Amino acid sequence: MLVLSRQRDESIMIGDNIVVTIVDIRGDKVRLGINAPSEIPVHRQEVYEAIQRENLRASRLEPGDTQDIGTFANRNAARPGGDKPR
Amino acid sequence: MRITTTRFGCIDVEASDLIRFPSGMPGLEDCREWALLADASNDALGWLQSTTRGDVALAVVSPRRFVPEYQVRIPRSELSPLALADMRQAQVVVVVGQNGTGLTLNLKAPIVINLEARTGRQVVASGDLPLQYELFHERPSLKKSA
Repeated sequence: MLVLSRQRDESIMIGDNIVVTIVDIRGDKVRLGINAPSEIPVHRQEVYEAIQRENLRASRLEPGDTQDIGTFANRNAARPGGDKPR
Repeated sequence: MRITTTRFGCIDVEASDLIRFPSGMPGLEDCREWALLADASNDALGWLQSTTRGDVALAVVSPRRFVPEYQVRIPRSELSPLALADMRQAQVVVVVGQNGTGLTLNLKAPIVINLEARTGRQVVASGDLPLQYELFHERPSLKKSA
């Protein structure tokens, strides 16, 4: 791992299009600002890893595992055809 | 195109069934092209089948059919790679999982699909949402997120 020391408002460049800036330092918490192209996802590591594990687990499901899923559908719920994000 | 799958055998998929995921998905980064299939016996369920890995498929559902109060807040930065000019072109589905108790829904990381451009992305929704929302017949309500 490359270890660099930075003070508040200083930045690090990763490649030629990712910039990490120290926005604030308060006690043992550091606030980081990340400038990256939108196609590069940026996440807290533990969140990303949890999603990875969940996707891998879910990718092992077989049709036999899901055959009862219709019984959990709510009769008053929105009809299929898509949920629109807010 | 004809694809070979472990769950559904050899199937023919139309270009209109294909969805491109430019970033793949966490854990499935190399799966960039998927076919959205209907489940044969269950109209509440779809399957996202990887066209490059026959053994990889994800069961997906429309979340509000199971969790009517689910309102996903997706940061703009998460949506911009999909070039969604209009939210009406978007469809949100969530991945079905399984834990020791039974079937679960990944409400924390829904999949957003741009229907017109046929592109998709798994996004991280804001708020305290579960990766494994357990499906029960008497559902607990989703806690209001902060």
